[in-house]
Amino acid sequence: MKTVQTEVPEALYNKAVALVSEGWFRDEQDLFSEAIRRFLDTHQSDLMQKFIRDDIEWGLHGND
Amino acid sequence: MIDADTDIVCDAGPIIHLDEISCLDLLRDFRKIILPSSVVDEIEKHQPLALTAKLPFSVLRGHNPADDRLLAMCRVFALDIGETEALTIMESHPEAIFLTDDASARMVAERMGFKVHGTIGVILRSIRRGQKSPEEVLSILSMIPSRSTLFIKSALLKEITLRVRKEFNI
Repeated sequence: MKTVQTEVPEALYNKAVALVSEGWFRDEQDLFSEAIRRFLDTHQSDLMQKFIRDDIEWGLHGND
Repeated sequence: MIDADTDIVCDAGPIIHLDEISCLDLLRDFRKIILPSSVVDEIEKHQPLALTAKLPFSVLRGHNPADDRLLAMCRVFALDIGETEALTIMESHPEAIFLTDDASARMVAERMGFKVHGTIGVILRSIRRGQKSPEEVLSILSMIPSRSTLFIKSALLKEITLRVRKEFNI
């Protein structure tokens, strides 16, 4: 496991704390890990498509 | 073709993928190919012959990131040691292009404001740089599913192929 120190907007943090206190997550670490995992799961394919399309533009019309 | 004046910092993926389709020579068009030492270890493990190519390789060690956000993002997105080392090298070579085929590494690079591209970009760039003809590039693209470990959805590969055909009236 990795330890990450970061800053998040206070309103976002308060919502996270509320979800933990309501029992939806074991603790804040559990919530943030789940949030990142879900983000990566749902965006990997979309991101790859975006990156490939960026590469097409750069490859065909870039200037370096 | 104009003189190459761009340096690249490479993750293992593009080196391995380009070598698998016999296109490593496309990197000859860059002034310097900077390989993080941990990326060299990874290439030696999976595609050792790639490192014997006569290319302007330069092996560098990463360093502690100057920007704390970089290390935090590398950890959050679970980047491996090679990707992390490459991104720390990009900090000291901000004019270079970072080459990676990893979506998470690419996302972190973009967030840091680095120029970042992948294997497909290098292949298509070879037309613009006069290294390959559009027809040769179409042939290379067709080899990817059978000869390379680079995974691209077939629909996306078809989209790339159609774009090349349309662009060059083939």
